[in-house]
Amino acid sequence: MLRPIRTIATTAAAAAALLLATACNSASTPTSGSDQGSSVRGVTDDSIKVGGIVSMTTASGYSKKDTDLGAKARYQRANDEGGVNGRKIDYAGAEDDGQDPGKNLAAARKLVQREKVFAVSPMSSVTFSGADFLQEQKVPTFGWGTVPQFCGPTYIYGFGGCMVPTPGGTITQSWPEGLADVLGGAKGRSVAILANDNDAGTFAIRTYQQSFATAGFKVAYAKAAVPATSLPSDWTAYTKEILRSDGGKAPDVVVSVMQTPYNIGLFTAVKRAGFKGVITDPTDYDPALLTKEATKKALDGVHVLLPFEPFESGSDRMKQFKADIRKAAGKEVPLNMHMMTGYMSADLFLAIAERAGKELTVASFQKAAAGFSDTDTMVGDRALPKGQREAFGCGALVQLKNGSYEVSSPFRCYEPIPFK
Amino acid sequence: MADLLGFVLSGLVSGALYALLATGLVLSYSASGLFNFAHGATAYLCALTFYELRSGFGWPAVPTALLVVCVLAPALGWGLDRLMFRKLARVGETAQIVATIGLLVALPALGMWVVELLEDAGAPVRPAENAFGLPGVGPSPATSWQLMDGVGVDSDQLITWVATAVVAVGLWVLMRHTPLGLRLRASVDNRSLVELRGMSADRLSSVAWMLSSALAGLAGVLATPLLGLSAHDYTLFLFVSATAAVLGRFASIPLAFAGGLALGVLQNLVAGYASFAERITGFRTAVPFLILFAGLLLVARRQRTAGTAAADAPPVDYLASRSWARRWGPWAVGAVLLAVSFYTVTTPFWSGILAGGLAISLVFVSFTVVTGLGAMVSLAQATFVTGAALVAGLLMSHGWPFLGAALVGTCVAAVLGALVALPALRLGGRSLALATLALAFLADHVLFQIGWLRNGDTGWAIPRPAFGPVDLSDDRAMGVAMVVLVTAAVAALSALRNSASGRAMLAVRSAPAAAMACGVSVIRTKLLLFTLSAGLAGFGGVLYASYNTRITATDFTAMTGLIWLAVVVAAGVRRPQFAVVAGLVFAVVPHVIADYVTQSAHLPVILFGLAGLALANDPDGYCAAVPTRLHRRRAATPSPVRANVTPRPAPTHGTDGTHGTDSADGTARESSAPALELRGIHAGYDGASVLHGVDLVVRPGELLALLGPNGAGKSTLCKVAAGLLVPRGGQVYVDARDATREGPVGRSRAGVVLAPEGRGIFPALTIEENLALHLRERVERDAVYARFPSLAARRKITAGSLSGGEQQLLALAPLLQRPPRVLVADEPSLGLAPRVVDDVFDLLTQLRDAGTALLLVEEKAAEVLGVADTVAYLAQGRVSWCGPRADVRVDQLTEAYLGMADEPSAPGVPGAPDAPDTPDGAQEVSRP
Repeated sequence: MLRPIRTIATTAAAAAALLLATACNSASTPTSGSDQGSSVRGVTDDSIKVGGIVSMTTASGYSKKDTDLGAKARYQRANDEGGVNGRKIDYAGAEDDGQDPGKNLAAARKLVQREKVFAVSPMSSVTFSGADFLQEQKVPTFGWGTVPQFCGPTYIYGFGGCMVPTPGGTITQSWPEGLADVLGGAKGRSVAILANDNDAGTFAIRTYQQSFATAGFKVAYAKAAVPATSLPSDWTAYTKEILRSDGGKAPDVVVSVMQTPYNIGLFTAVKRAGFKGVITDPTDYDPALLTKEATKKALDGVHVLLPFEPFESGSDRMKQFKADIRKAAGKEVPLNMHMMTGYMSADLFLAIAERAGKELTVASFQKAAAGFSDTDTMVGDRALPKGQREAFGCGALVQLKNGSYEVSSPFRCYEPIPFK
Repeated sequence: MADLLGFVLSGLVSGALYALLATGLVLSYSASGLFNFAHGATAYLCALTFYELRSGFGWPAVPTALLVVCVLAPALGWGLDRLMFRKLARVGETAQIVATIGLLVALPALGMWVVELLEDAGAPVRPAENAFGLPGVGPSPATSWQLMDGVGVDSDQLITWVATAVVAVGLWVLMRHTPLGLRLRASVDNRSLVELRGMSADRLSSVAWMLSSALAGLAGVLATPLLGLSAHDYTLFLFVSATAAVLGRFASIPLAFAGGLALGVLQNLVAGYASFAERITGFRTAVPFLILFAGLLLVARRQRTAGTAAADAPPVDYLASRSWARRWGPWAVGAVLLAVSFYTVTTPFWSGILAGGLAISLVFVSFTVVTGLGAMVSLAQATFVTGAALVAGLLMSHGWPFLGAALVGTCVAAVLGALVALPALRLGGRSLALATLALAFLADHVLFQIGWLRNGDTGWAIPRPAFGPVDLSDDRAMGVAMVVLVTAAVAALSALRNSASGRAMLAVRSAPAAAMACGVSVIRTKLLLFTLSAGLAGFGGVLYASYNTRITATDFTAMTGLIWLAVVVAAGVRRPQFAVVAGLVFAVVPHVIADYVTQSAHLPVILFGLAGLALANDPDGYCAAVPTRLHRRRAATPSPVRANVTPRPAPTHGTDGTHGTDSADGTARESSAPALELRGIHAGYDGASVLHGVDLVVRPGELLALLGPNGAGKSTLCKVAAGLLVPRGGQVYVDARDATREGPVGRSRAGVVLAPEGRGIFPALTIEENLALHLRERVERDAVYARFPSLAARRKITAGSLSGGEQQLLALAPLLQRPPRVLVADEPSLGLAPRVVDDVFDLLTQLRDAGTALLLVEEKAAEVLGVADTVAYLAQGRVSWCGPRADVRVDQLTEAYLGMADEPSAPGVPGAPDAPDTPDGAQEVSRP
């Protein structure tokens, strides 16, 4: 054992010497600056270069690829309308990060260092390991604020604000308030909340337990109990517990904070067990689900929370959205929420860039963002920098009835509560 | 009670799926010794195909399901067997595990890519993404019936039960009551003997893979409504069902089947009643992996070669004798060039990518410790990476300096490694791989769910360190620092390998028992290997996290660890520098492909999976393949020269002037044509030649006794005669037909039967089944029983429980019923009592009288001389004397025998086929 130790020691000494040589070298070179000098990265006299990062191909079969289409549609309209302060948006398209942290960072690096984009919008993925890099490189980034990186960093903006509640921050009340709206009041109503058995599920339970209780509901059951990796083939173990949770009776509302495949199983089981109350979840607003009989039946009657204006709304901005998407796709395509996230990410970027004026630099952009606010968008009233700490707090409930979604609680903004 | 019944009933649904998958796993494992990690991917691919055909093309459900399960899935299994599995069966276990991991990611990508291409071509396919609530074989949505309060079934469940029951019965009938099933079981029992009996083990392996694939396809189609189209879920489902395969010890189909059903029920009961574990986040999620781990520990037998893959013979190191400059020069130059390039040619983007690649290399190098040096497959390396980085991040958030935090993180990883190593002391090969995988999943689902450790989804910032003037937040400085660190790691590991500890590790790897006998502690060595590897992975993990500037608990999951292993092994896991190549390739190649080949994200994944195909040909990875191929090319030129150097005029040209045939001519049977003739046979194994020009002739009705001391090459000669070994020179004639290139199957079909050393029986099959393999007709079997009443009484008993003599009689008895053209018997009397030896020789004489040409290899010269017609004497790979028994002068033979045995070159280990390549001049030809 002695000999290798000596060899290792020799090697280590040699390594140290080499490292020292590097020191002189690296000390004399400046860190790669992004917006120094007269030219601004990605901005020319008549164009602004923008790119995106989206999970398109994943092993789990979950894809957000239509986010790209949504962004494209919004940029196309901006360009058709003459661009931003005379500059056209040069949208480089979205990089596919495959929900892989390594690829996410590589995509961010590629966009900044090779494509030399001014901003990243949209960024929609469950992983955002490129966040630190983008922040450090001072790249304004816009996306779906469902990951914590959208809460805090100064260059990163969620299109609906920061949607991850942090203790000490606030919780959005659109879900319980919307349900109270559906039920005609929260008083005396009991809810059962079910989540996956992992840290995220535990956190969701903690959040919504407080959220529903504050809104006046009685939380009869709140457990992060469903295995997070293997989809249960049988839900009776859970349904039994839930349906006896309100003092031996079924609760008035069953709340699922899980993904679609889980919801399909749970809701089918709950209904088979004879549950007649309200069922709700925050994920299943996807018109594509209506094309399959099994999902259509499983989700029938379910109230789905969404953080933006429902497609069923007849407002002018929604008509505009649909027209833009149709134009960008070149044909009529079924709408989904990923299009909306891409579209509204682009929209927030454009709105701020507009305010930044003709002299567009990262600094002027940030300055414009710092005091930005507007009202009556498809995600409600937007205000920065508040949106980097909490969600804009608006939402709607839609109910799936006889094969189509109907608005059950219209899109509205609610006062958030402090998160203890 | 109704609760319990409900849990059991519905648990049987996932249980049925587990059972189907586990059965397939066992089938394919038995057929080729391969644990197929891609089994779940096969199921996924079938589910995808079923969905597209049914929902996209609108084909009717039941015929489509039958098409997928009975035609497409078996075709896939057959194709993969031909392309990969068949070759993989002959390489080391690491390459096997990794090749199927490659498939695990490649098959789903291939499926989705085809869907994409079809969509572009205008076919009515549906997108494979975001597909939930898919229709199964039955009505969609499923019809449900309420049996009693709280107990209900739906049509999908019912279909799953019925299909599984039908398959169970079908499999039982197939395996127990058909000749094909009998052969399959025989090939599970003893693959090489199956070949010697004239059945193609390759073809049987194809059948097993087709069956296995069909079972996966059935599971896939049945699981479509449940799992949707998530390749990830199918793979997880497979890992859970591996528990059932473990319960069946990878050999028993009924046990695996029952285990699968029980697993489903158990899982459901835990979900229903494990309220005690509610406070441990992730416990319920982790239940299947707890069961897998416990199953492995409980069921796995203590193996002779626990913890190592003995089949992994190290490749020849062609550079071993070269100078330092020749061995390391190119690598050193490469490292210097890489370091220099950071400050000269590379763009910021590529600097970042290369620095990241080097950082991950450090993690990859840890594989060369545990898998390269230790031959243990660890699938938990990602756990060490995450553990170390999370701890380091936690400490840094409390103000610790980078170095201190990294050090503690490394130590934590090392401790985790030691914990993971504990099962390694009991388990080996695939069981160990699965155990580490189970632990990795446990860590993901329980350990890394602890709030204060993971800090939610935010994780911990790990800013890049700055040491005085060296600020690593510059990618270029980071890159150069990583070059230095990686170089140091490679140098240290190479030094370790050449140290006493390294030799101890290699000793434990190749022969634990022998290592123990030499005073090397196997337990300590294995613990050391795991701890060292985990520590290195942890240290690399902290650096990689600092390259990313952040660690979150979900950055590196158990699945990531699988992919990493595959990437490293594809490059070569035996040398640390290969791991560095793997790291750089891993970082750079996807970008190169995206730039120059295609934007499709599927293609790089498919290409990566094809590495498995490459491993089938070069099991030591592409880095090692380069010197190996170069060497082979160099070696290919001088080899004919070498053949010409042999002093004896090449007998391969058909010249009959050799003494063997000369002497045989003197026998009484010279008139009849030879049944088996060996001419100038040169043969041997990698690096050692054993036979140096052997000539032998055996005629019908002749018993030729081949005598010789240990290591003379007798068993090698038998293998050449039976076609198990292709000679390097010379010819084998069967009935005057050149059969040199024929394998054992063809040789056996031509009538040349080898009774191999040891017992030529299938121990797990009954006596009846052993006989039935050779004698299809009941009448023939009854004739055998009439002759050997002792066998008749126990025909339903497994052959393995017979005594040694009875086993040998069982091996030879059916031959009497249908005498073969040639019987090559390799020491049939080995280890038998003298009385039984007489029985055996009596049997052989009867065979001779029935006209069989007998080549009898023996060490017991005295007994054999009583029955032989001709005697040949083999010494050091040559026939030194051959003639009729009458001419044998016993005293001279004995003298020669002893004289030969006295030679220092004669090895002392019995049964070892390793005659050293002695100089030709040293060989004595003794003629009586």
